[in-house]
Amino acid sequence: VRARALALLVALAPAPAAAREIELGFENFYYRTEETLLNRANLLQLEPQEDLLRGTLRWREDLPHGLRAVFRGYVQRRLGPQGETDWQARQAYVQWTSGDLVTLRAGRQRIAWGSGLAWNPTNRIEAPKNPLNPSLEQQGSLAVRLDVVPFPWAGVTLTAAKREFGGGDAPFAPRAPRGRTGAVRARFLVRDTDLALVLSGGSDQPSLVGLDLGRTVGQVALHAEAAAYRGAEMAPPREDQLFWRVVAGLLWTRGEHLTLTAEYFFNGEGYDDAQNRAWLAALRSPANLEYLAAAAVPFSGGLGMGRHYVQGAWTSRLGNGRWTTSVRGVLGLSDGSVALTPGVQFAPSGNVVVDLDVIALLGPETSEFRLAPLRTAVQTRMRVGF
Amino acid sequence: MSSLALALLLAAPTPPDAMALLRRAEKAVLGESAAYTLRMTVQRPGKADRVVEMKGWKKGDDKGLVRYTSPPKERGTAYLRNAASTWLWLPDAEKVVRVGAKQNFGGGDFSNGDIFRLTLSRDYVPALAGEETVEGQACWKLDLRARDRSVAYDRVLLWVRRDGTDFPVRTEYYTISGRKLKWLTLSDVGKLGARIRPRLLAMENALEAGQRTELRFLAIDDDARLDDRMFSPSALESGQ
Repeated sequence: VRARALALLVALAPAPAAAREIELGFENFYYRTEETLLNRANLLQLEPQEDLLRGTLRWREDLPHGLRAVFRGYVQRRLGPQGETDWQARQAYVQWTSGDLVTLRAGRQRIAWGSGLAWNPTNRIEAPKNPLNPSLEQQGSLAVRLDVVPFPWAGVTLTAAKREFGGGDAPFAPRAPRGRTGAVRARFLVRDTDLALVLSGGSDQPSLVGLDLGRTVGQVALHAEAAAYRGAEMAPPREDQLFWRVVAGLLWTRGEHLTLTAEYFFNGEGYDDAQNRAWLAALRSPANLEYLAAAAVPFSGGLGMGRHYVQGAWTSRLGNGRWTTSVRGVLGLSDGSVALTPGVQFAPSGNVVVDLDVIALLGPETSEFRLAPLRTAVQTRMRVGF
Repeated sequence: MSSLALALLLAAPTPPDAMALLRRAEKAVLGESAAYTLRMTVQRPGKADRVVEMKGWKKGDDKGLVRYTSPPKERGTAYLRNAASTWLWLPDAEKVVRVGAKQNFGGGDFSNGDIFRLTLSRDYVPALAGEETVEGQACWKLDLRARDRSVAYDRVLLWVRRDGTDFPVRTEYYTISGRKLKWLTLSDVGKLGARIRPRLLAMENALEAGQRTELRFLAIDDDARLDDRMFSPSALESGQ
């Protein structure tokens, strides 16, 4: 796939451009690691401190005849004794648009549907975003996507995708679901309310039915996203059980400076107290490595191990948009997990943006976030646009 | 004496119908349907100006779309208005997010409602409130009262030129308690696109001294044929 993406880049580079956007960047992801139950005897072979250094490229070219080519990727160097260099195409696709009716997109791409800000239970196409820092750039999926807008009040998206979640921001490759997914999403605007229905299914995954709602009440934008499916995605297998995942939240903006968001996530598949005890016991079993699939939680894993979560974010713009400060927090109500993500963005000019985010994981030793083998994270990103 | 009074009465301009005047005034900058290019400058005391350029499309009273074209930091961000709903397209997250109509547009002094609801006649009941000279122009003064509380401002005062152009000169926005929130001046009248119109809109904050946002129209195509579907959140979400 990456070779094909590179070939596409080379083929398109000399084409006459109607509009071109290029952005170069630098990213550094620093982690302090720990041997927790999810990383017994350092199974993941992590250094006490891990450092990922990246050079990034974003390139977009609007071509004649409604064509667009997009590439977003990075070259990464993992510092330290295990130093290795790799590169990833986060997105590499070609898009064709016909008027306002049809858009066809093929290649590695983001398919970021769902109204949830931190969690999107109706989205099976791409890896769940990290709720501790949703501003991080997501890895796309290899997919063909067709968008049709037959009426001003309705649109349909058809997608066929290969799930191979990777390219996360952790210094190890989590075990992630694979398989092929087909999905259809119909979106409607009914009496100033957004309504979307989702159906998805495929190999190695239960079929899913989803509903998405959005409406503005006064100055508050409300949203709700729900998914139902039969059969558990996490261990242990629960094949005949119907599960619900529901997200409900709001976004409120005050003046030009302040934005507040809040979201509640009910993860029907998450463990209750008894299941959590069984899970911890299984983790302690020297022979049982099954649950280590969850080691990436919450950095690049599933939607969560617990049942109830609350997420809130406060964002403030200062200095005529030059500075943006934010504090995000995620609370796992089931086990007392706490994650705090203070961040600051500095834009000295319209071409340069620097982001600095720190993730601190708190809570009881056996809570979900504290079990993650990655503790404190410092994420630095700089982008220069042309 | 009575014939002189009658002559003066006949010579004086007939007071216009308030609603008809308002409708003519609100078409002064952009017509029923238009595609335009705009530069927004946000000025804050003691801080560097923030300059953003954008392309916009408008159809009727309640459909509008604006896409930022520069600087690179903000490029691709888009606002969509359709009836009472406003959405924001975040290009980095590739996500459509609902936002409120009273929210500041692009971090400046215009609200989303100011940008996308340039027509006031639907939301306000106008009454003629006399004649005044504003910004050196002889004007009709219109007093607009909100039809309901869903709109951005409870009361709006609008001054419209009396020279036959019906160009608005100044607009003041008030809360229900009578507090002035901000005021808009329209100036730099000249030819842009197919006709003469005000090309510079400046909104000043009445509560924060020195806070001002300018919208300068760089190009306007009044004859743009726009499909209703381009004003749908589905089109925004498809990445067009």
